[in-house]
Amino acid sequence: MNALTDTQRNATTATGGSGNGTGAAKPAARRRKPIRTRAYKWFRVVALVAIVLTFLAPLVWMLLASLKTNVDIYDASKAVIFSPTWENYDNVLGRNNYFTFIFNSFWVAFVSTALSLIIGIPAAYSMSRFAMRRSALVVLMARIIPGVSLLVPWYYVFSNLRMVGGYEVLILSHMFVALPLIVYIMMSYFDSMPLELEEAAQVDGLTPIGAFTRITLPLSVAGIATAGILSFIFSWNNFMFALVLSGANTKTLPVAIFNFVSYASIDWGGLMAAATVVTIPIMIIALFTQKYIVSGLTAGATKG
Amino acid sequence: MKRHNVMRATAVAALLSLGLTACGSGGGGSEEASSTVRVTLANHVWTDIIKEAIPEFEEETGLTVQLTQLGEDQLSDQYNVKLNAGTDEIDVMMYRPLQEGKLFAQNGYLADLSERVEGNAEWDWSDFQSGPVEATTFEDKVVGVPLITEREVLYYRKDLLEKAGLEVPKTLEELEAAAKQIKEENPDTAGFVARTGRSAAVTQFSSYLYSFGGDFIDDSGKSAIGTPEAKEAYDYYGRMIREYGPENVSTDMSWPEAMAIFTQGGAAFYTEADSLYKNATDPADSKVAETVGFAPMPEGPAGSKPYNVPSWGLAINEASANQDNAWKFIEWATSKEKTLEVQKAGVPGPRSSVWEDPEGISTYPKDLAEAIAVSAENGVGYDRPLVVSVAEAREIVGDPIVAAITGKDAAKAAEAANTSFEAFLEDEK
Repeated sequence: MNALTDTQRNATTATGGSGNGTGAAKPAARRRKPIRTRAYKWFRVVALVAIVLTFLAPLVWMLLASLKTNVDIYDASKAVIFSPTWENYDNVLGRNNYFTFIFNSFWVAFVSTALSLIIGIPAAYSMSRFAMRRSALVVLMARIIPGVSLLVPWYYVFSNLRMVGGYEVLILSHMFVALPLIVYIMMSYFDSMPLELEEAAQVDGLTPIGAFTRITLPLSVAGIATAGILSFIFSWNNFMFALVLSGANTKTLPVAIFNFVSYASIDWGGLMAAATVVTIPIMIIALFTQKYIVSGLTAGATKG
Repeated sequence: MKRHNVMRATAVAALLSLGLTACGSGGGGSEEASSTVRVTLANHVWTDIIKEAIPEFEEETGLTVQLTQLGEDQLSDQYNVKLNAGTDEIDVMMYRPLQEGKLFAQNGYLADLSERVEGNAEWDWSDFQSGPVEATTFEDKVVGVPLITEREVLYYRKDLLEKAGLEVPKTLEELEAAAKQIKEENPDTAGFVARTGRSAAVTQFSSYLYSFGGDFIDDSGKSAIGTPEAKEAYDYYGRMIREYGPENVSTDMSWPEAMAIFTQGGAAFYTEADSLYKNATDPADSKVAETVGFAPMPEGPAGSKPYNVPSWGLAINEASANQDNAWKFIEWATSKEKTLEVQKAGVPGPRSSVWEDPEGISTYPKDLAEAIAVSAENGVGYDRPLVVSVAEAREIVGDPIVAAITGKDAAKAAEAANTSFEAFLEDEK
């Protein structure tokens, strides 16, 4: 899939690069042609660079700052050229034991996403196939309610159950947000999937559940991946629930990052190094999985 | 048929996963053990030092300390949720007496410590400075023990003053003249810098307000920020930053930004809390570590009246079932020895005996220790309006500061703020 898109892109640039003369010489082409003047090309490059720079600048700054000492961070003359130090990373990963927090974040995100998928996909399927629009609305309500308003009652209930500070409560709270998200994404995904596929499967002798697990589910990988990744990212970044519901040993990364902000001193270098540690894994995950988000497998499925 | 199967499968899946999580949680809860003291502390140098000493305490008493440590705003958020839910999972809490003390005390979150503080002559409650003690007392009941104190002092650059041939300013007038001269002689250096954020600047502005003879609230409980004294103070503070401050000064600087300008060598004078001095004297954070000097808050028309407040205190959660052990921890953490130890590490404490002890100030720059001594004497016990909704009040009384900095009419802004503050105070009654 990926290779194909690449070739397509190459093909486009090749025709673009071959000059305007050949393009104009073919009046037969009625398709709306992209403008391919030199000015436009330059404009495109400049616009792309401007946009990418705008979005990347904070990240780059973060990365650079994480390699500086606290004095250098404020020094404008050392913005780009400075002598890098690994001290901050040593501080974050060594002395402050961020591996624990990385594990916590990962574990909570992974389990809450997995459980939400297990519950959410069948739920979405039934809501899509059996037109349970009112139930769907109720699920959506859970997404609409602001998390803050739930925190106090949650804390009250879970502290009475003596669950505060454990992984379970974090996982449950993250599922509360992840589940509606997954149900909604998957519902529209199943809606768009032709019923004929399942009917054909049943004609060939599969039970309805068999058709779901063997035909519909494998075709939904792209949708599941999208929902799963979004849910994972939400959980990874969630601060509010973790702040109140986590304990000293189950702190997740976004909460732990504040260890570098003290009342009378802020360790900017350490803070930026910790921020980098928080950002990198999720960026890697997003980079590797984005092809699932981009590619729709069903597009090919019904053509044949 | 098809319908039912699918629905059943869905239901089973849902039940299974719920069951799984429920089972998982069953083992997670632990029985409450009264020999465990649960302590919630803010990120602070004080906390770092105490944390290392906790094994000492555990050995002495046979208790176990369970420590939670958070940044100041996160701590606040957590208290608001947890205490509101009536938690008994916090025993000892580090809190900001001036920011949250009144709210917490009024809501009954803080246990009455009046009897406990008087109970131990050796620990000696009378040793605590009166300003800070006032701030941890609510309706004649002691609800907290002051932990860390701070006062506003003048940070200045010795080298710049020397170059300009100036003495350390003793009055606000001299300060303005000196800032003006230095700014004129050194185009790249600001004469003066201070916090500019609407809310953040309020505490540092308070010393100016008092020194001009003003206050936030008058004796009858009415807003006092519309008085001529207050207007003058607003105007002065704004003018200093507008005319002698850094170029294109932003109006949302709190201490990290203002301190950065000073420590990068960008300003000659800076008024700020003394508890932040290490940021300026530590070469790892500061380029002016060698040349920074300290002086008491310059005198205004009403004298030199900096605040002298407890920025942090320790309290016991009223809902805690473990108050006796919680008090043991507080007693240990605020003992004379611990206070001395922490103070030597650069955290100004609330005990008079430690300040009088030459050892207590041995690690401080000499001029800073002197400035602190002066400020402790004539200090005012609060640095922000003493109300329940402090955050909101700070926004209101901070408004004229920003107006003055941006060159608007300070008197007019003060009038407007006075009206809203009046209404705010009326609401809070």
